[in-house]
Amino acid sequence: MKVRTRRLADAATLTRLLCLIAVLAAVGLLPWLSGRDPALAVLRARSAEQDPTEEALDSVRRDLGLDAGPLSLLGGWASDLLHGDLGTSWVSGTEVLPSVVSGIQVSLALMGASLGVALLLACALVAPVLVRGRASAGAWAAMLAAVPEFLLATVALLAFGVWLGWLPTSGWAGPENMVLPAVALAVPGGGLLGRLVADALPAVLDERWVELWRGAGVSRARIAGAALRRVLPPLVPQFGMVAVGLTGGAVAVETVFAVPGIGRTALGAAKSQDLPLLQGSVLALLALGLVTGALAALARRRLLGPALRDASLSLPPARPVRAHPAIPLSLFTVLAVTIGWGLLRDPYAVNTMDRLAAPSWAHPLGTDGLGRDVLARLGHGAASTVGTAAAVCLLSLLIALALGFLPRIAEGAADIANALPPVIVGILVAAAAGPGTGGAALAVALISWPALSAHAAALVQEVRASAFLTAQRAIGASPFWILTRHVLPSVAAPVARHALLRLPGIALALASLGFLGLGAQPPAPEWGLLLDESRAYVERAPWAALAPAVALALLAGLAVSGAALTQGRRVRRRVTPAPVKKEAPVGV
Amino acid sequence: MSAPLLDVRDLVVRYGTVTAVDGVSFSLAAGETLALNGPSGCGKSSTALAVLQLRRPTSGEVLFEGVELTSLTERELRPLRPRMQPVFQDPYGSLSPRHRIRDAVAEPLKVQGRWDPADGPARVAELLDRVGLDPAYGDRHPHELSGGQCQRAGIARALASEPRLLVLDEPVSSLDPSVRAGVLNLLADLQDDLGLGYLFICHDRAVVRHFADRVVEMREGRVGVTSG
Repeated sequence: MKVRTRRLADAATLTRLLCLIAVLAAVGLLPWLSGRDPALAVLRARSAEQDPTEEALDSVRRDLGLDAGPLSLLGGWASDLLHGDLGTSWVSGTEVLPSVVSGIQVSLALMGASLGVALLLACALVAPVLVRGRASAGAWAAMLAAVPEFLLATVALLAFGVWLGWLPTSGWAGPENMVLPAVALAVPGGGLLGRLVADALPAVLDERWVELWRGAGVSRARIAGAALRRVLPPLVPQFGMVAVGLTGGAVAVETVFAVPGIGRTALGAAKSQDLPLLQGSVLALLALGLVTGALAALARRRLLGPALRDASLSLPPARPVRAHPAIPLSLFTVLAVTIGWGLLRDPYAVNTMDRLAAPSWAHPLGTDGLGRDVLARLGHGAASTVGTAAAVCLLSLLIALALGFLPRIAEGAADIANALPPVIVGILVAAAAGPGTGGAALAVALISWPALSAHAAALVQEVRASAFLTAQRAIGASPFWILTRHVLPSVAAPVARHALLRLPGIALALASLGFLGLGAQPPAPEWGLLLDESRAYVERAPWAALAPAVALALLAGLAVSGAALTQGRRVRRRVTPAPVKKEAPVGV
Repeated sequence: MSAPLLDVRDLVVRYGTVTAVDGVSFSLAAGETLALNGPSGCGKSSTALAVLQLRRPTSGEVLFEGVELTSLTERELRPLRPRMQPVFQDPYGSLSPRHRIRDAVAEPLKVQGRWDPADGPARVAELLDRVGLDPAYGDRHPHELSGGQCQRAGIARALASEPRLLVLDEPVSSLDPSVRAGVLNLLADLQDDLGLGYLFICHDRAVVRHFADRVVEMREGRVGVTSG
């Protein structure tokens, strides 16, 4: 058994390594993958007056090493990388390394500050559970965790920067510049940390030892401390996910607040096709995520101590927040009615006489900068966002079902996919294929399968172990019959339901890519894009920004409450024992 | 006695370093019940799975109706499989929870290419009736039946393959004592009518004495005494 476990672990390590190499190779091969002729872009950037003759282009290609094949391109890039040389920017012609280093310094300061804020927020969410011993914070924490950074950043910028004028809205001059970005970046992470601990604590506080300690007169503070100590080690790996989320969120937050960090550098480089700078900054972001993940693993080992390192210390099953079915249902109804109403109107009709009109009977949600009806754009945007999200769901469902049969390969690949935030994959795909809805969908699909495939793998294992499959072989059924009549039907239905529940979350990820200009392109009425466009004239027409912001928040609420609903149901089903009936008299 | 229905010679089953079955030999004639008896963990069930070729033995020979099975590939084995059917201990676990009883009993006919849309349903009803189940139970799912009813459905499903040998792996151990006799009587009737050979695996000595023609005692993977 031990040998087998070790071999499994080795297989997972191997695929993890292979996937990491594949990601690095994809980064290294970006100039080749992008397919379009970067020589032209470089030539334009270097000297505007030079004609793009074939000779001039050839000399640029030779200069950049673009004439060599993909393998030598990759080899050259890797060996330069090992010597600490990230190349020179195609656009500015300066060394990439200094820009990356200065970006990293800014981003590290921002992430450090937001990690502090996240911890404070998590403590605030957990405190009531420790004091009252009840799971009251979970629902709020789950809501906070689901709101995407770009939405928070935009709302914070509007509220505190523009309307109240308390804090600067952009730049990186002093500590006051740090407050809004750090808070916007911290809230989802802090919400997730708080939710994980708040969900796990009630069950731990019901464990026997707590009663014993209480009886022995141990102070409440010490019991609370011990309960936290008990809860944290199994959750530490999840904290690694928070760190990964920070690197992805940094791109959005730095862009909104014009902070010269590594995330904004990466996005800018992707948009201007400055591939060496993009490679350098994406590598830096990946390294940040991986290093924090490794630190989290180290912290877990330290917290567990040598004795428990191998025999894992598992938590009692968490008591997830139960959502009343009315909550997701009413959120869904509000969204569906708004979208349905909007679909009846024309999203592209430009009416410059009615620019930035306030909400009225003619335009229930007002008009945007070109006089287009906001309600119509919201409705049509939902149709395209939800349609794309459904396609992504289907794609990740197919990936998950396929990988569910190959758990060893899936495990290592899932680790890498989990370490990649959608925004960074979106940047890479956009750099290779150009920004567009298809690229954004591909990027989200590439990383949204791990949870589904873990679910599928568990179900496959369960079905394969059951005696009725042995009975299938005994009647002479072929492997194909067994797979199509028995294994797939038992696995596909529950995993498909799970995939459907992730649809709002996937739509949010697509919207965040749209917001950053990596997804749907104007004039498409995509929700993230709507929010981005309306930022320009938000002081004159706040409703144009408010409508997509509220719609996205409702979507986040739907994502959380829908998931909570099924979580509750899944637990309930496991507890229910199989019905055992007495034998009814049967005539023989 | 003519050529035996089943002839097992020097059967060995190893899981990694553990030897579950260590050189077991026995033979079984058509219409005969041979019991494998012994304490739990002595290798009875491993022997059953190895005889059925559902878990390939490490070494040894299994001759079924004169054909040596251990050297056959999975593909070559498939047409022979219907002739030897298992009945497992857990009546619920051996039927797919997602399928109705009727579909579970019809499945062997479909898999083996003997399903006729016109006569099939009647054949299924006949099989259910044969094992003492009201054909109306065919509409139900396994979890809507009692353990004894489920075990009868499992036997009907095994009969659908028209087997010569049934490998009964503790078929009544998980049933209520009050329904055991009913299932055992059913098995005895079927044997009389159809001339089936039974390899009967059971740890309960009283049941074995009542039910079996011959008994092979197993202990730690080896055959002890054969009595008959």
